[in-house]
Amino acid sequence: MSSDDLKRPALRRFRPRRLVFFGLVAALFLLTAACSQGYQSTWDPIGPVAEKQLQLFNVLLWTMVAVFVLVEGALLYIVIRYRRRPGQPRPPQIHGHTALEVTWTIVPTALILGLGIWSVFTLFELDQPPTDQGDILEVTVVGHQWYFEFEYPDADGNGKRVTTANELKIPVDRPVSFTLESDDVLHSFWVPKLGGKVDVVPTRQNTLWLMADSDQIDQPLPATYYGQCAELCGIAHAQMRFRVTVMSEEDYQDWVRDYSPPSALTPVSQQGQTLFAIHCSLCHSIDGPELESVAQARLDQFLTGAENAAVPGPNLTDLRTRGTLAAGITDLTVENLRAWIKNPEEIKPGNYMYSNALLYDEGGDATLSDTEIDAIIEYLLNLR
Amino acid sequence: MAAITEVLPRPTYGATGLWSWITTVDHKRIGVMYGATALVFMLLSGIEAGLIRMQLATPDTDILGPGRYNQMFTMHATVMIFMVIMPMGVAFFNFVVPLAIGARDVAFPRLNALSYWIFLFGSILMHFSFIVNQVPDAGWFSYANLTEQPFSPNMGLDFWAIGLLILGTSSVAGGLNFVVTIINLRAPGMSLMRMPVFVWMTLLTSILLILAMPVITVGLIELVMDRNFGTHFFIPGGGGDPILWQHLFWVFGHPEVYILILPPMGIVSEILPTFSKKPLFGYPFVIFSGIVIAIMGWAVWSHHMFTVGLGPIANSVFTITTMLIAVPTGVKIFNWLATMWKGSIEFTTAMLYALGFIFLFIIGGLSGVSHAVSPSDFQQQDTYYIVAHLHYVLFGGSIMGIFAGIYYWWPKLTGRLLNEKLGKLNFWLIFIGMNVTFFPMHFVGMNGMPRRIYTYSSEFGWGDLNMLASVGYLILFVGFLVFLYNIIQNRNARRVSHDPWDAPGVEWSIASPPPAYNFAELPRIKGRDHYWIVKDEAREAGNPITEPEPAVDPSTIHMPSPSYWPIIIAAGVGLIGGGLLSHYGVSFLGGLIAFIGVIGWANEPPAAEEH
Amino acid sequence: MAHAPETAHHSDAAHGAHGGGHDEHPEHIGHDYTTTGLNHRKMLMWVFLGSDCLFFGSLIATYMVYRGQSLQGPYPIDIIDIPITTISTFVLLCSSFAMVRALAATNENNQTGIKVWLLATAILGAIFIGFQVYEFNLFKNEGLTLGQNLFGATFFTLTGFHGAHVTLGIIWLLALFIISFKGRLHPGTALDVEICGLYWHFVDIVWIVIFTLLYLVGGFDAGPAVPGH
Repeated sequence: MSSDDLKRPALRRFRPRRLVFFGLVAALFLLTAACSQGYQSTWDPIGPVAEKQLQLFNVLLWTMVAVFVLVEGALLYIVIRYRRRPGQPRPPQIHGHTALEVTWTIVPTALILGLGIWSVFTLFELDQPPTDQGDILEVTVVGHQWYFEFEYPDADGNGKRVTTANELKIPVDRPVSFTLESDDVLHSFWVPKLGGKVDVVPTRQNTLWLMADSDQIDQPLPATYYGQCAELCGIAHAQMRFRVTVMSEEDYQDWVRDYSPPSALTPVSQQGQTLFAIHCSLCHSIDGPELESVAQARLDQFLTGAENAAVPGPNLTDLRTRGTLAAGITDLTVENLRAWIKNPEEIKPGNYMYSNALLYDEGGDATLSDTEIDAIIEYLLNLR
Repeated sequence: MAAITEVLPRPTYGATGLWSWITTVDHKRIGVMYGATALVFMLLSGIEAGLIRMQLATPDTDILGPGRYNQMFTMHATVMIFMVIMPMGVAFFNFVVPLAIGARDVAFPRLNALSYWIFLFGSILMHFSFIVNQVPDAGWFSYANLTEQPFSPNMGLDFWAIGLLILGTSSVAGGLNFVVTIINLRAPGMSLMRMPVFVWMTLLTSILLILAMPVITVGLIELVMDRNFGTHFFIPGGGGDPILWQHLFWVFGHPEVYILILPPMGIVSEILPTFSKKPLFGYPFVIFSGIVIAIMGWAVWSHHMFTVGLGPIANSVFTITTMLIAVPTGVKIFNWLATMWKGSIEFTTAMLYALGFIFLFIIGGLSGVSHAVSPSDFQQQDTYYIVAHLHYVLFGGSIMGIFAGIYYWWPKLTGRLLNEKLGKLNFWLIFIGMNVTFFPMHFVGMNGMPRRIYTYSSEFGWGDLNMLASVGYLILFVGFLVFLYNIIQNRNARRVSHDPWDAPGVEWSIASPPPAYNFAELPRIKGRDHYWIVKDEAREAGNPITEPEPAVDPSTIHMPSPSYWPIIIAAGVGLIGGGLLSHYGVSFLGGLIAFIGVIGWANEPPAAEEH
Repeated sequence: MAHAPETAHHSDAAHGAHGGGHDEHPEHIGHDYTTTGLNHRKMLMWVFLGSDCLFFGSLIATYMVYRGQSLQGPYPIDIIDIPITTISTFVLLCSSFAMVRALAATNENNQTGIKVWLLATAILGAIFIGFQVYEFNLFKNEGLTLGQNLFGATFFTLTGFHGAHVTLGIIWLLALFIISFKGRLHPGTALDVEICGLYWHFVDIVWIVIFTLLYLVGGFDAGPAVPGH
């Protein structure tokens, strides 16, 4: 009486069509989604590192698709072919088959070892930057909560030191060797179209090399690519983004040459410079010589004990050359910068500027007047 | 000392009502309590997942905000792993293992109750973080040094660490109990190589538990000390290395993955033969591959750390070991397929879930191979591709296996059959919902979406697939509600015989629901598929079995009496943890209660006194 | 952590067939039936000790990883006093001997012997703890605290948890000592003593590993530079 209770209704209700339907839906996803090539798509490499990694992934993917079709196909075949039929006698009681077991142990092992050995070769191949592709540009990436800082110890080949943040500028067709350091917690440095990520770990100096290949770049130079922190690093992790601008060698050298502090020419921007020194300079640095009055303003701030609240902020020396604000989350325009200075919390919740800078009231907007803010903006963006 | 047991005499046997559950040491009841608690947490954690999907459904959404969002994914994962899948596994260990090996209870019934209560109080303690609004928010593997005081100043991570320490105690106690039970309480004739695969997987899981838990315990202790006692285990400024946390976590964490998947594999290995009417194909190979997985599971942990910068040599080694662990998993799948080959397959809900398990686990296993390869993983690590993979393994694998087990053993537990029509609706909703939710995540991940981001801009092109995933969540949620309804309406469900599936396991030879003593007389196990053999012999003798083993007067069978002490000791342990989070005085009180509990426990008479 | 071995103590296992008309069954399964013939509680203790190995293993691993990584003193060479700890190690080893005698006395039903040797084991253990308290105090006065450097953190954590294990063992021994006055320890209950002994010997062995690694091997570590190893 027991199993017969269930047999017939169960049989009736099984519809292989559902599986077919599901398969079609899945295929549809595959098509629509694989075609979408977003700003951070790993399907669309622009450099040798990402390309090799994609090649490896593709081989794995298609091997896995083949295995998938075989095994799931076998599963579906068995399930449909051997479904219970009314009045069916008890099936043969098979307990095992050693040769079969050995086969399906050895074949996957061989397949996997083959793929494994190949991937180990790729791993070692990608470990060090190529030495025959032009001078290697050294860049130190420092991860901060929540922005990346980029230091070029020798940006132009003549020892010029350049520090910027949130926007990495690299010359095309030259390998760039990154040294990754963290100022606080773990981060992960990732530009999907250039190559896989490497974690940014305090106590360690991880390395990574990437290269933008002009043959693979699909837009006119300078071309902008997207990167993002890939390791949970606290409240604003989602907004720890950055851009990579791939430039021609000339444009790059121009940028390095023009890298300089804002030249405070107008009276308004001079006022901005002093305000910056008072309110911003404990966290944000600007390279180059400093006016004595500005240095004094900074020292006064320091003596009030405000430095206790200071955390490193992005270096703003070349802010005017950047396209984005607040670690790549909005475009850099005067309006956006004004809104940002007024209330950064609204744009990037959790950031240290809002919580630590003394110019923000408890839960309120900046205590600076609009004119003062505009002066700072004029100074930073070198407006005239 | 004996005075304690006079104040609180051993409760009498056979009581009903709330107290009988609080004091129970019956493995079946404890299994039910584990299962029910896990279902409540599953609902809770599922709602957390819903909030996550709501936040991510469209770009630039601001429903939760970053702080709440970080709390949600942290708690979703922590709860699903430590308070849903693990206890669900333990629920099956409890309910099934003693029945399946022909025992009357586990080796240490009171220790078993203690494990449950510690688990419950530990879970509740961690959820207290919501009440004081200091919720853990650093992810389920809470990488140092984000977890250290300067970066996580509120008490969320203390709740997390201390809660997990308490849950770990429970897991180790449970693991010890089941190792001893399985090795030492098998009915005569139940040799190791006759044990049901589920029992084998329980044994392996228990061994993994007792060996893996101490490692995370040390990590958590060091974290708690860093946060509260000024040490620098993971603080770079003091010379500590945050990567040590990752090693300690994943040396535990990878065996933990097998702790989560081996029990469902065992469940599936029970269900497939029953509904194919064929014995499991290649039994020794299925067992052996389980053993190999349990051993190799210790040699692959650094594949979670490929991008940490361990160097190409370490990455190569772990690439190869990780890829090789796919082999024993594949062997299991091939044997399952061969079990059904030429079988007579009956599509009950339990069987559908088992088939769903195989179907989805294959996908999860295959996507796993692509990030076992470290150069390929550099692009996938910490993206939604990983999220998709882990849900195919833990949802498509573990949860589907758990549902299969619930539908399979429910008639044994209640004597009633869950509504099969609702069951199939439940299955298809969950199966389709699961794929709609998680399959798109592969592509979102490959399109560069990192995990654990609470918002993204529309320009990245992740919006459509995220919306699809969120729609899938709704299907899943409805499927889960159908399941809950199915359980709730069980009172009206149809009664079935003691052996509704014509199953091979020993547990089906007794009445449903089983009597408190399980077996009036310990069965003598005749072979691997004991009850099939028994039924065949009876049929050949012209005497087919239609009735379970006859009941006997329970008072003639000595069973361990209920006890108050497990919940008292567990309350003490919970208070020790609570005190560490509030006031050390509370810890002292908890220690005192636990100490008194231990004395009472040790002096408790074996049975209630006759009155 | 499941560091409450008492949970195993006096546990009421659901013994095999016990009643249920076993009397008329010709080959009934006895009261103490276990599949392997080993007692449940003894097996539990063995498995628990296996678990504890991983616990101490992880603590020791942390110590070894951080050897020589301290950023500031005091370093091991400044304060580790091997002769004194050799004495306390010897005391602990003696306690293992006393434990063996206590078990033997239980098996011989030598009631005086049981009490004497159990108490001796507990006292020797307490002396060891006394040495540890003295050492901790000394180190603290020399400036070594949990937060001072990694040596302090790893040293105190590892030896502290070992000390906690010894303390738990002492409480267990004293509990046995107390119940021995009620005549509850005799050859029939020798297992109670044996299981406590298993735990006690394990804790001793762990100490030998700790003594070797932290004192004999690591005791000469100096400054930030990692010594040649």
